[in-house]
Amino acid sequence: MRVTTLLFLIASAAAAQVPVAPSPDLAGVRNGENVQNYNIVDSFETGYRYRTVGGSMEQYRSSVNFGDGIRLLGSSLLVTSKNGHGLLFDQITLSTQGLGNDPYESVVMRVEKNRIYSYDMNWRQNDYFNPGLVTAGGGGQHLLDTQHRMQDHNLTLFPQSNLKVFLGFSNSSQTGPGYSSIQQFDATGNIFPLFSNVHRVWREYRLGNEFRVFGIRVNWMHGWQDFKDDTGATIATSGVPGALPPMQTPGVSLNSFQSSDPNHGTNPYWRAAIFTDRKLFHVNGRFTYSGGRHAFVTDESAQGIASSLARVQNVVTLGNAERPAATGNLNLNFTPNSKLTIANSTSVYNIRTLGNSFFSEFDSATQTTSVLFYNYLGIRTVANDTDLNYQVSPLLGLMTGYHYSDRLISSQDQFTFAGTTSKSLAEQSNQLHSGEVGLRLRPWQHLSMLFSAEIGANSHPFTPLADGNYHAFSGRIQYRAKTFRLTAAANANYNANSVSLTSYASQSRTYSVSGNWIPRSRFTVDAGFNRAHTYTIGGIAYFFDQQLLQDQSSIYLSNINSIYAGLRYEIGKRIDLYAGYTRVQDLGDGRPTAAAGIGSAPALFQSVQTFPIAFQSPMARLSVKINERLRWNAGYQYYGYRSDFASLLGYRTNTGYTSLSFSF
Amino acid sequence: MFCVGAFVANAQEKPANHFVNNNVCRTCHPIIWSNFYKNPHFKSIASGKEPLESTGCQGCHGPGGLHADNAGGKPIVSFTGLPAEQVLDACLRCHSQKLSRANIRNSQHTLNGMACTSCHSVHRAQSVRALLRKPQTTLCEECHTDVRSQFAMPFKHRVEEGVMSCTDCHNPHGSSAPTWRMASHPRHVEQAMANEEPCLKCHADKRGPFVFEHLGVRVDGCETCHAPHGSPNSRLLRRPVVFTLCLECHNGGGNFGRRGNGIATQTPNHNMADPRYQNCTACHVRIHGSNADSNFLR
Repeated sequence: MRVTTLLFLIASAAAAQVPVAPSPDLAGVRNGENVQNYNIVDSFETGYRYRTVGGSMEQYRSSVNFGDGIRLLGSSLLVTSKNGHGLLFDQITLSTQGLGNDPYESVVMRVEKNRIYSYDMNWRQNDYFNPGLVTAGGGGQHLLDTQHRMQDHNLTLFPQSNLKVFLGFSNSSQTGPGYSSIQQFDATGNIFPLFSNVHRVWREYRLGNEFRVFGIRVNWMHGWQDFKDDTGATIATSGVPGALPPMQTPGVSLNSFQSSDPNHGTNPYWRAAIFTDRKLFHVNGRFTYSGGRHAFVTDESAQGIASSLARVQNVVTLGNAERPAATGNLNLNFTPNSKLTIANSTSVYNIRTLGNSFFSEFDSATQTTSVLFYNYLGIRTVANDTDLNYQVSPLLGLMTGYHYSDRLISSQDQFTFAGTTSKSLAEQSNQLHSGEVGLRLRPWQHLSMLFSAEIGANSHPFTPLADGNYHAFSGRIQYRAKTFRLTAAANANYNANSVSLTSYASQSRTYSVSGNWIPRSRFTVDAGFNRAHTYTIGGIAYFFDQQLLQDQSSIYLSNINSIYAGLRYEIGKRIDLYAGYTRVQDLGDGRPTAAAGIGSAPALFQSVQTFPIAFQSPMARLSVKINERLRWNAGYQYYGYRSDFASLLGYRTNTGYTSLSFSF
Repeated sequence: MFCVGAFVANAQEKPANHFVNNNVCRTCHPIIWSNFYKNPHFKSIASGKEPLESTGCQGCHGPGGLHADNAGGKPIVSFTGLPAEQVLDACLRCHSQKLSRANIRNSQHTLNGMACTSCHSVHRAQSVRALLRKPQTTLCEECHTDVRSQFAMPFKHRVEEGVMSCTDCHNPHGSSAPTWRMASHPRHVEQAMANEEPCLKCHADKRGPFVFEHLGVRVDGCETCHAPHGSPNSRLLRRPVVFTLCLECHNGGGNFGRRGNGIATQTPNHNMADPRYQNCTACHVRIHGSNADSNFLR
């Protein structure tokens, strides 16, 4: 048993090719210490991480972002009551990652007392860096260097009983500096970078209950959500990444700008669900209602020069928006015998968004403008899916399904200007029919095969990119034995939206093969290859040097090959060695430079038809057991990113760490 | 009497299986037993109130009487090689009582022949909480290898780095039909905040409601423009640059859009030869929705 467990742990650790991060190796045997009625298993890994970056630091920070310094790389704690009758709790599980200095920090904890309560906590912090707009003349506008914190707390009272009570609290915040932009003073004016102090907070309080009546579980939850966005913006001073884009309109400048845009929202909701699992049938339903409401004020003040004249512009907007949303799902599953399963799902959702916005502008050139807007958007969708599964024999299973959706979209634009009201109503409906067939084969206990196909047609897709006339194929073959697993899969998706003036078509195909092999307890291999091909062509129309160009095409072609491999070897009884390699390469369409693309589109469009990149990351990790409770670890990982058409975005990073793992 | 005699004779030939005290199992499986108090399934044993057929070893493996009488020689329910539907039935005897698993029988995983034991392992789990065979990301990527390569793109959600997990957005046990798009697509994506896309759990500022909604976002969802797993674009757009993505919808053609006569194209002052117009969101800063401007300029 010990050998099997060890084998399993080693295999799993080999498969987990994490970035330079806590070592999966255990410091000693994790039997733990007994303290009175509790058993305590604790382990933590602390050490020093370093990094050196060459090339684009901004791209590195937006992609990998590990830094220098001392940190608690990872820790875990498990406290368990040995007889399941602890005084205040029966089990505590706690795990942490990256605390102290890493860009990705998390704490996950559960405390529970059998039959009395269960408390779950999840805390995460993500240092989010985004370079913003960096291509096509962008100079870093909309860069973000923020910190995103999320926490969830859930308390369940009487978790194993037929009468449960749920209490919950969630909090999410994003704070930090960023850059935005604004166009002043008219539609052809310049774009000016703004400094913005991002400050957003979202909170949710939950109260719910579950009980059982006539064998059916009824679960309800009431939630209160609040959202506050107090992000303000002022004109950015010189030296910011968001430099002015080229080709400025002469004579337009901005001397000062300030914007306050507080918007606060509430979103109370109700959710009710019923579910039961019987021998012949299974039913579950889920119904929600939420009443989102947002109140907002925008206050903008700008001073500058336009057409060589001093210009002052003040804009005030205020109002509120509402979105009542009601949804319902009813899922039925009928199993008349061990071979046949019939599943049916019906869903309805009805969303309305409506609101008023009073817009008032004072402009020294155009004087005062006041407009009252009212907008409405209604979406009502009814969908029904029926799937049928028939297990002909242990070797062969068949599946077929029919899916239907009906959607109605209605909208109203209305504005009142100088006492005159203008209204625009619109309504359209569309139906989607799709069918699916599948085949499952298990010719041998260790070998399984799965093939399926889906075809669908939408009478009135909302956007050219949406599913129109589409079909998809997928297949998967898996061989799985005790020490060896090999999976091969293929997927193909085709979509066509043909219309009178233009057309959109896309195709994607994915092929993959992966496997792992554990020939001996000391040696494991894990590897995979994936190829993803995407080709889309969409009809576009645009103005180019005052000319309207129609019958043009936007083409995007991507050919991504990715491989990963990991090898783990245990040298003697003290040393674990892990080596891994990941490479992802988008070959694009094979062209060497951004120029000379497909078709006769202007060079600008040809240059973005494909975006070849290469990313590779070899790594090695060594873990040496010093004694039963202590290990020394060292790791190294290289990150190399290359963008063939945007060479300034490339980076080469060496990262590594050395750490000690303690366990008791 | 003859019938009763025949029955007794038959019973003597094939003695009925029966439940035994859990301590009997412990005799031959001491290692499993010695650490089982750390297993979530120990709760039912600890309570001491559950009947033998609903708790401990025999709660899952069935009556162990014959197995013990014959020193392990007689079969007992072994989950290795058990058909997927039987595994599901066995586990759902207790585990059907959680809302997140309410739709498991209709999930694509179940319909495609996956069993609970494909992902979970009661005795050899790596995680105490969900008893997963492997770390969650590794486990999912074992089959979804295409997603693994998407997470290796230069811009991605930080799943490999450990700050997010697949279940932040997906429900592997089966979710209800989403409230966006059509034909119950995408599958296994869990509704969040009652009836919203899970993206909005973290990106709450994109939720609205807004007086001026970007209709494509509200009607067909975030995936209209974004590739959530990974992309060559820093905002996870489906195209390397923003303007090609916008132009593919805003082409004025066909019967698309809310009026069914095409989605509005740009005005003539949008000269695509001028780089300033190639970054659409430099001006249309509130592209997800605005309260002040129908063109999302402020």
